[in-house]
Amino acid sequence: MCIRDRYQRRVHGDYLVEEREMGKEQIALKKLHQYLLVGRGKPTDKDPEPKVFRMRIFAPNTVIAKSRFWGFMRKQKKIKHSNGELIAIHEIINNPSRAVKVFGMVVRYQSRTGYHNMYKEYRDTTTCGAVSQMYMDMAGRHRAREETIHIVRTCMVPVSKIKRQEPKIFSSGRVKFPLLQKISRPPIKKYKAFARARRPTLFLQQMQTYQYLSLIHISEPTRRYAISYAVFCLKKKKKN
Amino acid sequence: INFSKGQMGFKRFVEAGRVAYINFGEDHGKICVIADVINNNRVLVDGPTLGVARQVISLRRIALTDFVVKVPKGAKTRTIQTAISEFGLIKKWGETKWGNKVATHAKRSKLNDFERFQVMVLKRQKSYLVNKEVAQASGKKVHKKKTVKKETKQLKPSAISSLTHTHTYQPVSYTHLTLPTSDLVQISVVAVSLKKK
Repeated sequence: MCIRDRYQRRVHGDYLVEEREMGKEQIALKKLHQYLLVGRGKPTDKDPEPKVFRMRIFAPNTVIAKSRFWGFMRKQKKIKHSNGELIAIHEIINNPSRAVKVFGMVVRYQSRTGYHNMYKEYRDTTTCGAVSQMYMDMAGRHRAREETIHIVRTCMVPVSKIKRQEPKIFSSGRVKFPLLQKISRPPIKKYKAFARARRPTLFLQQMQTYQYLSLIHISEPTRRYAISYAVFCLKKKKKN
Repeated sequence: INFSKGQMGFKRFVEAGRVAYINFGEDHGKICVIADVINNNRVLVDGPTLGVARQVISLRRIALTDFVVKVPKGAKTRTIQTAISEFGLIKKWGETKWGNKVATHAKRSKLNDFERFQVMVLKRQKSYLVNKEVAQASGKKVHKKKTVKKETKQLKPSAISSLTHTHTYQPVSYTHLTLPTSDLVQISVVAVSLKKK
C-alpha cells in the first residue's frame, strides 16, 4: 500500500478514481481510450514476411483493445490471436478541453433484424468523448449495445461540412438559450441527507415565466415517425 | 424561438461569455465563464483567475448569473483572463447579494467554536436592538434593565465585524443572564446522594 496524498489520482482498472479531501468522496469516471494496435500473422515457411496491419480501437483499457483487435483480424484477415503477433500498442492521447470540435463517425451496428451503417456527428472536445457520446446515443435511440457496434471511421469535421442538424446549430454562430430548470441539490454528494423531515420540492422555477407558455406545449405532436402501437390499434381502419 | 426579443421574459442565457456559478462538484461555490456551448446539456467553461480549470461541465451543475463577459465563442484561457480583469468580475461579483452570500457561507463554514460563540452573541445583540426599535415603534413599554456594575467582557465589534455583516453594534451588558444552573443542580444532587452513602 502506497502512502497517498490528499488529492492523489489513482487509476483502478478502467476507472479513474479521484479521491477528494472532504470525506474521501470517490468519483469513478469510466474513460474511453483510443489505442493504435499494430499486428501481423506469425511468419511461416510459406509466408516469411506477413502483411502488417494497423488499427485504431476505442476501448476502456489495453486488454479489451487487444481483444477487439484480434477479433477484427480474425474476421477480416483470417489471422487468429494464436497465429499472430501483436507488434505494438500505443495509446493515442488527445489534449482535452481546449476547443469544441465536431467529430463525424461511420458506424456499423447490428440491430435485431440486421446490420446497418450509420453516419453520426457529435460535438465534443476529444475524439474519445465523442465516441462515448455515440455509444450512449446508440444505446438510447436504437437499443444497440457496445458489443454490437463497430466504429468504421472517425474524423474531425470542419464547420462547413457538418451534416447533422444539432452539431450544425451549435457550431455556427452564437448559440443562446435560457436554463429552464433550477436544480437544487447539496454541492457535495457527502452532504446529501439520507433521510429528510421535509417533503421534496418538485417545482423549482429558474425564471418566473410560466405565464408565457409557448404554443409548443399545447399543440399536437408533429413527428413524422410511426405512432405508437396503442394509438394505431385505436384508429379505425378503412373499410375496403 | 427568438429569445433575444425579450418576449419570453428570460434574462439569463447560456451563451459564450456568460458568467456561471458552479453549484455542484469539486468546483462548487466558484464562478466561471462559459467559453463555448457544446450541446443542450454541456458547456465548455473556464475561470482563469477564479480557480476553475478549463473543463467541460454539465448545465445541471450550473446556475447562471447576471453578468456577461465579452468574449468570442470558444475563447482561449488568456482571452478570458483579460476580459475578466477588464470587466472587474471578481469585484462586481463580491458586490452582489449572491456573491456576498457565497462569501459569508464560506466564512461561516470555517469558523472555530469560539468564533461561532462570538457570532451568536453578536446576533443576540443585534436582535435586541432590532426588537427594541420595533417595540418603540409600536408604542409598547420597553423594560428597563438593571445595570449591574460588574466588569463585563465587552466584545470589540471591530475585531469580529468581518465575521458577520458590515454593521457594528453597541456592546450591551448581559450580566443579568447567568450561566445555566442545570450543572449546579446536578452537582448538588450527586453530592446529596453521595452523602447518604
